[in-house]
Amino acid sequence: MNIRIRHLAMAFIVLYAVLFLQVNRWQFLQRDSLVEDARNNRVTVRQFNSPRGRIVTSDGDVVARTVKIDPKTRPNARFQYQREYPEGDLFANITGYYTVAFGATQLERTENDVLTGKTGQQQVQGVDDLFTRDLTGTVELTVRSDLQKVAKQALKGRVGSAVVMDPRTGAVLAMYSNPTFDPNQVASHDTGAANDVLMALQADKEKPLLANAYQERYMPGSTFKVLTTSIGLETGTLNNLSNFPVTNKWVPPNTDNPIQNYRKKTCGGDLAEVFLRSCNIPFAQTAVALGPDTMVNGVKGFGLEEAVPIDLPGAATSTFGGDADYFKNSLALLAIHGFGQGGVQLTPLHMAMIASSVANGGVMMKPYVVQRRVAHDNTVISDTQPQPWKTPMTAATARTMTTLMEGVVREGTAACCMQLKNGVRAAAKTGTAQLFDDPRKQRSHAWIMGFAPAEQPRVAVAVMLKGVNEEISAGTGGKLAGPVAKRLLDAALPLIP
Amino acid sequence: MPHASSPIASARRRSELLLVLLAGAITVAAYVLASLGKNASIPAGLGPFLGFVVALLVVAHVAVRFLARGADSLLLPLAALLHGIGFVMISRLSDRLARLQATWTLVAIAAFVVTLLVVERVGDLRRYRYTTLAVGVGLLLLPLVPSLGFTSGGARIWVNLGPINFQPGEFAKISLAVFFAAYLAEYFTTKTKEEGTLIGAEPWRIGKLVLPEAQHFVPVMLAWGASVVVMVFEKDLGSSLLFFTLFLVLLWIATERTSYLLMGFGLFAVGAVVAYNAFSHVQTRVSIWLDPWSQYESRGYQPIQALFSLAEGGLTGTGLGLGDPAAVPAAHNDFIFAAIGEELGLLGSVAVLSAYVLLIGGGLRTALRADRAFDKLLATGLTTIIGVQAFIIIGGVVRVVPLTGVTLPFVSYGGSSLVANYVLLALLLRISDTTSRRLHETTDTASVSERIEAWRARRIATKAAAK
Repeated sequence: MNIRIRHLAMAFIVLYAVLFLQVNRWQFLQRDSLVEDARNNRVTVRQFNSPRGRIVTSDGDVVARTVKIDPKTRPNARFQYQREYPEGDLFANITGYYTVAFGATQLERTENDVLTGKTGQQQVQGVDDLFTRDLTGTVELTVRSDLQKVAKQALKGRVGSAVVMDPRTGAVLAMYSNPTFDPNQVASHDTGAANDVLMALQADKEKPLLANAYQERYMPGSTFKVLTTSIGLETGTLNNLSNFPVTNKWVPPNTDNPIQNYRKKTCGGDLAEVFLRSCNIPFAQTAVALGPDTMVNGVKGFGLEEAVPIDLPGAATSTFGGDADYFKNSLALLAIHGFGQGGVQLTPLHMAMIASSVANGGVMMKPYVVQRRVAHDNTVISDTQPQPWKTPMTAATARTMTTLMEGVVREGTAACCMQLKNGVRAAAKTGTAQLFDDPRKQRSHAWIMGFAPAEQPRVAVAVMLKGVNEEISAGTGGKLAGPVAKRLLDAALPLIP
Repeated sequence: MPHASSPIASARRRSELLLVLLAGAITVAAYVLASLGKNASIPAGLGPFLGFVVALLVVAHVAVRFLARGADSLLLPLAALLHGIGFVMISRLSDRLARLQATWTLVAIAAFVVTLLVVERVGDLRRYRYTTLAVGVGLLLLPLVPSLGFTSGGARIWVNLGPINFQPGEFAKISLAVFFAAYLAEYFTTKTKEEGTLIGAEPWRIGKLVLPEAQHFVPVMLAWGASVVVMVFEKDLGSSLLFFTLFLVLLWIATERTSYLLMGFGLFAVGAVVAYNAFSHVQTRVSIWLDPWSQYESRGYQPIQALFSLAEGGLTGTGLGLGDPAAVPAAHNDFIFAAIGEELGLLGSVAVLSAYVLLIGGGLRTALRADRAFDKLLATGLTTIIGVQAFIIIGGVVRVVPLTGVTLPFVSYGGSSLVANYVLLALLLRISDTTSRRLHETTDTASVSERIEAWRARRIATKAAAK
């Protein structure tokens, strides 16, 4: 009998050894694949049953928050907290969204640790008051809600974007893009409905999920002449006395196709004149005169071909459309690129940074949207310090550029639309980027970039209206984008000391 | 009364007290941690809770000290540890269930003490074997009584008695273990010169294989029949498997014939195949076990959530009160092992497995030490109940076997289960104590009723002398 009992004991040991191995399998060997399984929403559940910090604008507007779901009014709620975006679509491209089934984007993703109270500092401070489970932090933006609203209104629903910056710091004051989306719909706990919304947004050919202010890039047209001119001035190829023949055609090297001015106009004169009238030929000639190496190095000085160091994910990289070797084989293309046509592509954010660098005495600051990260006990976790990124031009060149850009506003392509309130002098450059050679289906983007006050700039702006229809394409950068920039500068200047 | 003259018993009781208090300390510490993790606050009524735990443990220990002082020192602390971990997990899942479980804990400890009081000698149970058979069968069939029994969670194993519901099957398994130990000890073992050498009756042979005699088929068939009844009419696969395993193990150990085991497995296989083909709920269980992933949206949801829960815990667990074990449906009951695995990690789940292995070890050691067939068989049977039941449900959760809803002994929420398991524990301790007395490890002092008898006899004698 005892032998059998011993056998039984062995049988039990074998059985429990099997359990032991199997538990190891789930908790150790296959743990990662289980935790990462798409159907495993435990992490999400835990997150949605915990509070999450707020994102607020620099003028104190709450643009993302969690609210506790009242079980009395919503007894079947899946989670305890609902993420809300009180301003709807206004900040969608900055905050991003935070969803049950589709992850998080933009600041909701990158600032997750601060918002959930997981940064080292928050955890350490949380030890002090062991009984406060709510360690969620607050993210304070540089963006102003009032300016963001002006940007939205001024765009009037047209596809495009507006970026307002403080040129002295790189702080983004407003950055709005059309089309956009309402993150509340995606943040719905009804994942089926949220999925439908997200699918529709993804299918939309205008890509409302991507901020065209910084996640898309566009042909800059004549606004690019700021770069060509600046490089020309820096290298001495151009100066205030530079003069260009009055003409309507110029055949660049290695081609038979002549370059023409906008709307085939005849145009020429000194640098100030050709800049404010935005002739194409002088800048095509300047680009060729500078040569591929100088031009490519020059635009790189402005941060082209390089990721813009903004504290938002997924920023597109602006490009000149080719390297020096590429243009050595085709100086004609270099000529065309010299006035912002062809393969040149910039993000509106980058354009605002270029305007800022002129405004800031030639120093381009790192752009940023997060000013401060604040812990649950109101201690500051981090306060963003302005940092220079590039120095594309000397202060002297910046002064010359400012004078040239003031001319554009005074009597040039922006004269119509950039006269600011109270006689504040603005500096600007317009752009009308022609997308096709065929005049019958002409489409063009309307651009403007600039800053004010010209003598001591505090606000820089870039506006781009995408050439999606006849109305936009028939207009010019000055007439279409100018009024948007004017409204933004008028609204921003009293607010920014 | 504790005697200085039995040092072995005293040492056992000392280590039991130490271990029981350790289990209590772990329970209270875990309770505080779970509350801190969940609500960031020291639990309300921590003082009373601490008092409650210590009082219950001390009562149980003192009961053993007075009523079974030679008994094994490991069994009670292990049960208390499992019970404590289970209670903390239940309280962490639901305040309401925790209050009910606390009430059941009181009843269970009372049942433990009463069992030790009433069953003074293991042999007493042997005398009532047919009564226990009747009680066991009655309890087993009780849920099938139309107005009394009801179905919950797909199994008709519940009985409604006015304010309380209970699962008579939990008690039936003890009754049937007692009956089978008594029956097998009597008829299947030949008591020769010395008890303990047990030889089966003259067997039939086919070549080398020894077949059981015809009359010996009867109890096997009875056991099989009982399992079938439970499975077919009550749809309780786990208990069915448990009963059958219990009978089979006891038969095998009593007769020392492997042929019984083979025959039993054969019957089990036949029953399993028939049940699989005849009952859709059996097919469902098996298909969920083999591939829960393809039916994630429906029946596979719960077992997969349990795996997610275990995975979430990883090596060291999320920490008590910091996981989300409630994501698994029925986490307080069938799936409490997943909840433990989530919050205490692999370390915690392996600790629980180890506790069961030690408990089984303690039970089987009691069986080995026992010097009478009945005691041996009963201790083996009771241990098998705990060991197999824990294996069935943990195995179900971790997908070693198809999931069948039985409680995890001492750990799961459930009053009937808790009370029954403490009765079972008391019986094991009683067997252990009886053996200890027989081995003269402790003086075989008179039991309470014997003392009362003696007191009466003295009084009568005094009165007679006075006259």
